[in-house]
Amino acid sequence: MLTRKLWRTMWQYRAQFISMVIMIALGVGVFVGFNMEWYSIEKNIDYAFTQTGFADYRLVNKAGFSLDDYNQIVGIDGVEKAARYLSVNTAVKDSSNVITLTVTTNPEVSGFMVINGNTYNPDSTNGIWLSDQYAERNHLHVGDDYTLVYQTIEITGKIEGLIKSGECLIYIPDESQVMPDFKTSGFAYVSPVMLKNALGYEYYPQINVISNLDKKEFSEKANAVLGKTTLLLTKDETISYSEAMGESNEGKTMGAILPVLFLAIAILTMITTMHRITTNEKTQIGTLKALGFKDCTIKLHYTSYALMIGLMGSLLGIGIGYGLAYYIMNPHGAMGTYFDMPQWNLYMPCFGWVVLLLINAVLVFVGYLSVRKMLRGTPCEVLRPYVPTKIKNLKIEKTKLWNRFSFGTKWNLRDIFRHKSRSLMTLFGVLGCVLLTVASFGMKDTMDAFIDVFYNQAINYENAINIAETTTNDQALAICDLYQGDWAAKSSVQVNDKTLSVEVYYVEHNYVRFVDSHLKFIELSDDGVLICQRIADDNHLCVGDEITFSPYGINQSYTATIVGINNSMSESIVMTPAYANRIGYNYKINTIYTKAKDIAQDSVIASTLSKTSILKSFDTFMDVMNKMIYLLVIAAVLLGLIVLYNLGVMSYVERYRELATLKVVGFKDKQIGKILISQNLWLTVLGIIVGIPVGVGVLNILIKALASEYEMVLVLGPVTFIVGIVATLGVSLLVSFLISRKNRKIDMVEALKGVE
Amino acid sequence: MNIVELKNVSKVYQSGEHEVKALNDVNLEIEQGKFVVILGPSGAGKSTLLNLLGGLDSPSSGTIIVDGKDIATYSADELAEYRADKVGFVFQFYNLVPTLTVYENVALIKEIAPDALDAKELLNKVGLADHYNKFPVQLSGGEQQRVSIARALAKNPEVILCDEPTGALDSETGVMILKLLLSMARDYNKTIIIVTHNQNIAKMADVVVKVKNGQIVSVDEQKKPLTVDEVDW
Repeated sequence: MLTRKLWRTMWQYRAQFISMVIMIALGVGVFVGFNMEWYSIEKNIDYAFTQTGFADYRLVNKAGFSLDDYNQIVGIDGVEKAARYLSVNTAVKDSSNVITLTVTTNPEVSGFMVINGNTYNPDSTNGIWLSDQYAERNHLHVGDDYTLVYQTIEITGKIEGLIKSGECLIYIPDESQVMPDFKTSGFAYVSPVMLKNALGYEYYPQINVISNLDKKEFSEKANAVLGKTTLLLTKDETISYSEAMGESNEGKTMGAILPVLFLAIAILTMITTMHRITTNEKTQIGTLKALGFKDCTIKLHYTSYALMIGLMGSLLGIGIGYGLAYYIMNPHGAMGTYFDMPQWNLYMPCFGWVVLLLINAVLVFVGYLSVRKMLRGTPCEVLRPYVPTKIKNLKIEKTKLWNRFSFGTKWNLRDIFRHKSRSLMTLFGVLGCVLLTVASFGMKDTMDAFIDVFYNQAINYENAINIAETTTNDQALAICDLYQGDWAAKSSVQVNDKTLSVEVYYVEHNYVRFVDSHLKFIELSDDGVLICQRIADDNHLCVGDEITFSPYGINQSYTATIVGINNSMSESIVMTPAYANRIGYNYKINTIYTKAKDIAQDSVIASTLSKTSILKSFDTFMDVMNKMIYLLVIAAVLLGLIVLYNLGVMSYVERYRELATLKVVGFKDKQIGKILISQNLWLTVLGIIVGIPVGVGVLNILIKALASEYEMVLVLGPVTFIVGIVATLGVSLLVSFLISRKNRKIDMVEALKGVE
Repeated sequence: MNIVELKNVSKVYQSGEHEVKALNDVNLEIEQGKFVVILGPSGAGKSTLLNLLGGLDSPSSGTIIVDGKDIATYSADELAEYRADKVGFVFQFYNLVPTLTVYENVALIKEIAPDALDAKELLNKVGLADHYNKFPVQLSGGEQQRVSIARALAKNPEVILCDEPTGALDSETGVMILKLLLSMARDYNKTIIIVTHNQNIAKMADVVVKVKNGQIVSVDEQKKPLTVDEVDW
């Protein structure tokens, strides 16, 4: 029989029941979704990396490694496998597309998986194994002929297979591009034989290594066998690995912060709701007890109510979570534009199930505590209706101000303090709503400002020309003159065991500009270097300090004075040619920036990249981000609506008798409605006042946690605040309106009968 | 002069599938300044009568003329104004606002009735001068009922409606409350209508209206009503 009562109770409090289920579902959904996301990323990239032999270390020498060098490295104790490796950008004949031509001498290291077509043949003289994504977007098929142009050398072959590669898991042909764009660029593998035939000689500027040795140990051993210090890149310094880990960390952050917010509000609301239901049913609880039901039976009855909420919320939440994870993690979803993975399975981390169990345990415990409180005492005591906490005089009542308040204000103030938990919950609901809207729109503002300043404005050129490795500075300068450009010389250096980039810029035309932490442009100086924010933070450096760096391949180090700190995506030290000369640093020009639109083919030019294509690569990225922001804002508004409605109904029911009395005495519906709305409004305004700074704080943490590698500057437009405030106020007013409409239905006669 | 006139008033409640006739074609006239007791067993329709007079509910048919106006046709807002201006209520369970102090409970009337009487003066009269700043839960039942009498009078209404005003009190306190109610009504020249099933209260009334099965059985004027002290409680 009690089970039947359980269903009826559920039906009776359906508004609370449904809203609690939705709240928990939202919290669980966000929790499951983001945690599945990062865990699936890690599992799936791990699969891609092991299947294609993703390398742990990359030794880099622009002059190339010989077979002898390779044998020395393979011979190192602790090196499992190695391969000589080349990865170079080539042009597609009669097209502006870029193909990264890749060759590995050992297909088990930095190799690929054939998705479609023939398996790899290391002796093939004309086989091209092409990225399947690129092939699909450019309508290429197995068996088609394809011609690539490297400098002036044409390399023609037949597409043998369509592939995916761990090395190109996140395929970005050039550092200045942010997102993969398989319409305009892709990668292809050819055999070492074919490469040698095309070039006429062997050229492998990298040795890729799979090894369990740590970086220091491997570096020492490699330098010893090669007889010189060589640039060593770990997998953390590759885009595919570090960006994938970055995505995973974003998922971890989101999966940790957002669910806490949602679930905290859900559990707190649960406490108020369960308390409210058990107090409302106190007489019934007493009746059951008086009839001879054991305490534990009654407890079981009400805790199973809480359990029902928990279970249904969790089930629905797991569904939402799967949906969310799938939305982000599918080949055509948000991550699909980023990762090129052979496998897109969804995995749930084990601790996720544990947390879900815990959440349900907490909910049941909340139910248990509320009913236990009501059951205390003899049946006779329990039968008496619940008396809310005694009203105390507030401190403010002693001031003169108090007498000036209208009675409605006094009533509301006392009510807020009398039902502290309900008021606090309302405050939390509003706070969560403001926080989420401000943080998500703020994220958009920040990204928009970032792209506008760092790309639209700081990039002042039409084309960036990459100069071939083998070119001299004079040849490069000739090209620079030809296109009336600015130039840069970028190379890797070591600072305190970390690989950074030293960039010498000659910016007569200001084609490239530098941005500080206030999003203002700063000029280069001939008296010292600019370092980026991350270097400054990591090494505790500030303006006026000195920084020492040492280039690879030579045993010499340079010390430079820091004259400024800039925000930059590349972790770099920036200087003028004049300053480079002053400290005696030798540079090699490798990029030319020009306003010219058409760049003729030249043996000195390796590739070009236009500003339009850089900006275009943001489109998908922004698209994905906008979708996420809208999802978050919808969640925020939903959260606000549910919490406020639930509490509004509760407040209404708790004050039903008082409202009825007011009505009897002669207050009009509108006057009563106004009192109800004004209480809600105060709490909303308070919530907004607290919520905005908290939202900004959370956004700050998010930006630091999610995008430190972009060195973004927090920007919040007035529209964000306005939208955040208006949306929250709107939600609150809508709820107040819905609730205050109910007071028309107050049955004065009925309400006056009961005992207070 | 008649302050209240009921003509052919019926009230039908829809309770599930059957109709319940709470009042059936009731006619009643009440003169101003009289002390009227409506007597009847529970379920007779006396509370319905009081609710209709108080503008808490509207009749299914008939006219209710109070102070020259037919309130049967009033809208919800007009009824609210009527309740604010013309009638004061005293309930069995006091119905004070628990989050307002004694003083505030009476003073709140000022917000809806501009010519409300002074709350402090009224509270002094009902003998609660020392309890202004207490909350209702801190008072005894009798004291709470005094507050509600003060609140009913604060509007300076034509009619005071009381629904079993002594029902929740012990007899001693009940007598005190009745005394107060009557003396206040006399002082301010109010019409008092009390609904009760207590025969003793009826002995004090100017007019006794007996209600049974939704109809008025008798209306008796008592030429010499007893005083509170004369009644054998």
